[in-house]
Amino acid sequence: MHNAERWADRTTIHLPATAGAAVKLLGELGSEGRLLAGGTWLMRAPMTSGHYIALAGIAELRQIEIGQDRLRIGAGASHAELALALDGLDDLKGLADAAGGAANPAIRRRATVGGNLCTTAFAASDLASALLAAEAEVTLITPAGTLRQELAIYLDWRRTSAAQHHLLQHVEVSRRAGRRLCHARLPLRRAGDYPVAMVSLAAGSDRQGRLADVVVAVGAVESQARRWPALERTLTGQLPCRSAAITCAQANLCQFAGREGPEVPGWYRQQVLPELVARAVAQWAKAGGQE
Amino acid sequence: MIGQLWINGEWCRHDADPAAPLHRVLRENLGLTGSKDVCGEGFCGACLVQLDGAPIAACLVPVALAEGAQIVTIEGLDQDPVAQSLMAAMEAEDAVQCGMCFPGMVMTLTHLLKTCPTTDREKVKRALAGNICRCTGYERIVSAACRAAKDLVAADAQKVVA
Ligand SMILES: Cc1cc2nc3c(=O)[nH]c(=O)nc-3n(C[C@H](O)[C@H](O)[C@H](O)COP(=O)(O)OP(=O)(O)OC[C@H]3O[C@@H](n4cnc5c(N)ncnc54)[C@H](O)[C@@H]3O)c2cc1C
Ligand code: FES
Ligand code: FES
Repeated sequence: MHNAERWADRTTIHLPATAGAAVKLLGELGSEGRLLAGGTWLMRAPMTSGHYIALAGIAELRQIEIGQDRLRIGAGASHAELALALDGLDDLKGLADAAGGAANPAIRRRATVGGNLCTTAFAASDLASALLAAEAEVTLITPAGTLRQELAIYLDWRRTSAAQHHLLQHVEVSRRAGRRLCHARLPLRRAGDYPVAMVSLAAGSDRQGRLADVVVAVGAVESQARRWPALERTLTGQLPCRSAAITCAQANLCQFAGREGPEVPGWYRQQVLPELVARAVAQWAKAGGQE
Repeated sequence: MIGQLWINGEWCRHDADPAAPLHRVLRENLGLTGSKDVCGEGFCGACLVQLDGAPIAACLVPVALAEGAQIVTIEGLDQDPVAQSLMAAMEAEDAVQCGMCFPGMVMTLTHLLKTCPTTDREKVKRALAGNICRCTGYERIVSAACRAAKDLVAADAQKVVA
């Protein structure tokens, strides 16, 4: 089909300058309007008629603020910008790895943090997994006002009708002394395909160097990233070694039912989890000099 | 509706829909066919162009969002010394087979050679994570990029001596 027929002036792209103006437009346009960030998800199918509210011109959404005890990531920051900003921060290495390892370099330059977290149909979000383990909170703007939610709650809420017309403004992560975040992912090949499974781990350590205050999140295995509370309990108090990681993960593996997909069957996603847990634990130990 | 893009150092006008993907507008409205239309999903890298100096997948950029940016397509690299050195190295290493992936490869590697002149095989492979070659000539492409890097460093050293 010729270009002129397929995209025959049926679309309007709005370019608001502030997040508030974008939400106002969302409210006014109702079901006709949709937010457009980097476009790397939306553009995979031709964008049909309607109104798109582009976030690209909103400077406030691109800011990444790194404080002593808090990290704030604007939803419009790209994966590449986030990976660069976090470079060298040991406690947040897992988040830098998630942002810097997702997709491929050309996609990372455009794909935004907000677009990644707001795409309900996408199961393999690296950032959702890493940020769940970091116990992140999100700030949303809706026509009714501003809302703050734990990311874990947001991931369910975004699928509900109440979530229509919201804009994810930023994501915040607390930085706690002695805690480190790691992210282990398994793509089928290195060339930027969607990961088959991923495990993110955040933990501190007790005086004996054992894992303490453990949070584990799993992405790509089911339709949405989620925490693995049973493994968190079992890993707490363990030495950060491969055998303990594998044993603990295997004991709790039945809590996941792998998603069937064209690239791998569901059982495969589930069965690789112990290895990914072991890799995440190894990264954690290495970052703390406990190899 | 008329849109305006700054491409290869000149203004180009087009009448495509604002949401049309940039690579289709380049190819079908502006006759710049170097950016290829292959997967349309950001996986293969055949459509890459430079937007404000960095390679992006043109198949995923609505043309309206490219307005105001500096766009460079493979056609615009014919005077670029780094791209020229890279293409000479490609020829010397016999790296080109069908050529379908090459505009995208050159976009990625030119950017790499400019931002990281002392590159090595590992860095080249990482940079090429989003460039698929169906003729699977990867090793020669990597060798060509490393050869170009050496040639460029040597040429720079010569300039300093002179
Ligand atoms: C080739 C390829 C490989 C990929 N590999 C990976 C991978 O390995 N790991 C990974 O995690 N991801 C991967 N992705 C997915 C990629 O990360 C997403 O496409 C991207 O993050 C979406 O962001 P965007 O800014 O492009 O969103 P857009 O495409 O602009 O929007 C996506 C959705 O989010 C909504 N939205 C965007 N911003 C906001 C906001 N601030 N508030 C509310 N709603 C919003 C839009 O309305 C739309 O519904 C890959 C994508 C491609 C194309
Ligand atoms: S056509 Fe754009 S990445 Fe394949
Ligand atoms: S040379 Fe044929 S696709 Fe790369």
